[in-house]
Amino acid sequence: MDSLKFEYKYRATSLTDEELVELYVSTTDELLFEEIVNRYSNCIYGTAIRITRNHHDSEEILQEVLLLIAKKIDTFRSDAKFSTWLYRVTLNTCYGRLRSESKHSKDISLDDYAPYDSYGSLGGKVKSKEWSNNPYLILYKKEALEIIEKAIADLPEKYRVVLHLSDIEQLPQDEISSILGISVGAVKSRLHRARLFVRDKISDYFQEWRK
Amino acid sequence: MTTVMCKDVVEKIIGYIEAGLDHQTVEELENHINSCPECKEFVLTYKMMLDLTGKLREKKFVTPEIRNRLKVCLKSSLMRK
Repeated sequence: MDSLKFEYKYRATSLTDEELVELYVSTTDELLFEEIVNRYSNCIYGTAIRITRNHHDSEEILQEVLLLIAKKIDTFRSDAKFSTWLYRVTLNTCYGRLRSESKHSKDISLDDYAPYDSYGSLGGKVKSKEWSNNPYLILYKKEALEIIEKAIADLPEKYRVVLHLSDIEQLPQDEISSILGISVGAVKSRLHRARLFVRDKISDYFQEWRK
Repeated sequence: MTTVMCKDVVEKIIGYIEAGLDHQTVEELENHINSCPECKEFVLTYKMMLDLTGKLREKKFVTPEIRNRLKVCLKSSLMRK
């Protein structure tokens, strides 16, 4: 790589998402597209795997989304956040694939999910599955992360996507609301039930793991 | 002063950990948490879950093999454009 090309590539890495996209739309420069690929591949794949739960599908979705970016990026309105557009495109591609393969599962509602009993008490259910002092959490961080991943995979899809965007991708709730086309209140409510469900599932998996 | 139950801690957990509750509610919840081993464990494990979930962001999915296949795919598709 000659020095001019190196400097250009270096500058591309320091651009904000929106600057990068704007420059790519006006130049269609290959190095800028490469930077887009480097910057977003993992997040596209990560979103796809948590929706489809299938590595082969996720790799194809990654290719499909990047091709869409290359061909249709001019449909992106620069007054919006690029990440919002990107997540929307990624999720639409995921849902399209699930629909075409008839893998779209029926959504089970967790709206009434709660760990307490009808008297409002946790009634011994939390302590009996205690894992906060589990030494494996520190010793086997990788296994602990696999347990979390498994617990998230057990969530019904509409809660899983909110938890992924909020707690893994760390997006603000108003952006999630805009990506998914639901109210901020609905985002909050799904996130709350999703977290309660995942915490309980983790407790169950730690119980099994200890045996 | 209202009677706080485990249910209140569970339903207000997001506001509680994100410091989105008024002083009096926090105080009431904390009085309950400090005297309830169930809620103490619940809050602790809830925070640990958030911490661990956040770490999943660092997970690398796109291996060099995937990247190579991606490169080939993009090159051939975009050349046909």
